[in-house]
Amino acid sequence: MAQKYQIVPGLSVEREPVTEPELQAAGVNLARDFPGASLSEFRRYPVLSEGGWFMVIKHQPTLKSVSRVKWRLLGPVPLATEGLSLD
Amino acid sequence: MAINGETHTPLRDLTEAQFQELYASDRFTAAVLSSRMRYIVKHMCTGLLNNAFSLILRDWYDFAATISGPPELDYPMSTVSDSLVLFIGTMAEAVRNSVTEFGVDELRPGDVIAVNDPYRTGNHVNDVCFIRPVFHDGRIIAFVTIRAHQLDMGGIVPAGFSGSKKNVYETGLSIPPMLLYRDDKPVKSTFNLIFDNARFCALLLPDIKSLYQSLLLGERLLLESVNRYGADALLGAIRYSCDVSADAMSEALRTKIPDGIYEAEESVDADGIDASREYRIKLRIAKHGENIECDLSGTSAQARSSINCGVLDVKTAIGVALKMLIEQETPYSSGSYRNIDVVIPPGTICSAVPPDGAIFLYWESSIPVLSAVYRALEKALGPDAVGGDYGSLMIHNANGVSEAGVPWVTAAQCGGEHGPWSGTKAGDGDSYTVFYLANNIDPATEAIESDIPAVVLRKEYALDTAGPGRHRGGAAVLKDTLWLRDAEHWTMPLHAKVSCGFGVYGGGDGTAQANWVFPPETYKVVAATGALPTDRSIYRESIPVGGMLDPETKTLDPKGEYFYFASTPTWRTTPNTMFRYQTAGGGGWGKPMERDPERVLRDVRDEYVSIEGARRDYGVAVVGDPVNDPEGLRIDQEATRRLRGAGG
Repeated sequence: MAQKYQIVPGLSVEREPVTEPELQAAGVNLARDFPGASLSEFRRYPVLSEGGWFMVIKHQPTLKSVSRVKWRLLGPVPLATEGLSLD
Repeated sequence: MAINGETHTPLRDLTEAQFQELYASDRFTAAVLSSRMRYIVKHMCTGLLNNAFSLILRDWYDFAATISGPPELDYPMSTVSDSLVLFIGTMAEAVRNSVTEFGVDELRPGDVIAVNDPYRTGNHVNDVCFIRPVFHDGRIIAFVTIRAHQLDMGGIVPAGFSGSKKNVYETGLSIPPMLLYRDDKPVKSTFNLIFDNARFCALLLPDIKSLYQSLLLGERLLLESVNRYGADALLGAIRYSCDVSADAMSEALRTKIPDGIYEAEESVDADGIDASREYRIKLRIAKHGENIECDLSGTSAQARSSINCGVLDVKTAIGVALKMLIEQETPYSSGSYRNIDVVIPPGTICSAVPPDGAIFLYWESSIPVLSAVYRALEKALGPDAVGGDYGSLMIHNANGVSEAGVPWVTAAQCGGEHGPWSGTKAGDGDSYTVFYLANNIDPATEAIESDIPAVVLRKEYALDTAGPGRHRGGAAVLKDTLWLRDAEHWTMPLHAKVSCGFGVYGGGDGTAQANWVFPPETYKVVAATGALPTDRSIYRESIPVGGMLDPETKTLDPKGEYFYFASTPTWRTTPNTMFRYQTAGGGGWGKPMERDPERVLRDVRDEYVSIEGARRDYGVAVVGDPVNDPEGLRIDQEATRRLRGAGG
């Protein structure tokens, strides 16, 4: 018997490209630190790990983080009280 | 060794001087203090288990205790109890998020913070975190924390277990970080808030008093250690405990999983609104060197009702999956995640957001995350692969009023809450335990029957349900409960379309879950001479709740019709109604045709496998009568050779 249902579409995390100055600001010298790698192999996106949420810039083929900065406490999850100001 | 790009000397390679400098003690002292902290959380749990009143704590062990370090160390969670795994995985963030929001500087000795908001702390609203800062010489040196399931936290369903609640306003009271005790005195406004919203407060109050005493015990034992070894040594041991886990996970990642990309997909049948939507959980694992990244992009948007989980539950599932698969040598701590990055978009069934992304049955959407890790890594792990367990609790929640007019409630006692695990390289899967993401106990039948108007008539293994394999999975559990009074029930088989118990390394799948109602007019259990039979003909009399069933016989049929679990959102039953649950079977490990025929014979004797199943799944010809002459069974060697020759 045919079942009628739809599969709920998925959502995705966008991995943003980074600029050369951003990579340099992270202390990366491409030729020295990642010989043969290109700028397009680096992406910025949030991750949940030991210590909570971080905004990272990672070299995608090797998964090496060249920048890990503490991100929002709850990451991308908003509270029902998001934006509440009592001042 | 590199941890997130930073060079790191493994603990075993540190000189004594380096170790002393890092951890403010020698190796022996650090190990003693680490063990001492495990002793402390065990005793905190034992105290609560012995003194709890509500069934969910007393009979289920639905709580956990942890120790976390102070804010200046970023709240490292060094120590966890050996109880509910889904709790301990979220508690590192729960403490950090709650204390940060409340304000470190606002805390003082004698405080206890209560918090239960799933979006801040993981799990669901009934799972309340009680966080106690431990002060020494005027500064916080640690937090002792208990997360304990409260029997009720308000909302539209007594005890809460329902997959049909539509938003946070229906799931129950959400508590941001609030003072429950100040100066070791109860904060009446917080107790009022809870008890003005929750049911069964006569049970909640002594439970909270008991767990408060367990927090005091944890604090006292921890301070005893500080007084003996010094605060710096304790703080060193907290960091050391996390570093031990981090080192071990790093090495396991490097040596046990080849670099590469691994993908898997799991599903949830439907939400609690209607059967029109099916949900997918997608996982892409990237592994290189010592680093691993688990990306859930592509996972379905959040469900319309309370079958979602939160990001912290996903983090737990991934970390626990990797611990169980590749690193069982060291205790779990927040350090286990040092080389694990979870990537997950907000607003999925695994990362629900308020107010419409209701979270309650969070295990039903986080167990599939663990399963996805198992499935994705199957080929990479080879013989070390592990298959699926029964994977879904089909939790049963019911309430009513006793003859004396007293409200009663049951939660997670009389559904499919316990079941089998997969076979592994070490042997057959156990048939009656809790799911991979838990570690609890099974409520005693006597306790159930003394608390609520129900009779548990059957808890047994179902024939031919275990995933076949060289080491077979555990058998599905069949449970019958007779309800003696008018009652309303919520019952939630969310993984009936496909069996959760998938096989690995050539093993077969277990059968899928299903459950049925037998109204009193269909089978008069009280008048009958025995319990409801298990033969196939009896199911014609039933009303299916959920499962893939033959529409005429109403028996399990993977190609049959899907019976949607919430087509009747609330079952209102008359006395002597029976509910029958059958869990999924555990997945098999290894090729069934390689199973020792003598073990197949034993399975036939013990009624795990039928004579037909032995022939069909294992190529073993057993002759005799397993019911009336089990010791007279024998193997027809010649027929078995022919069967296995033909099959192989």
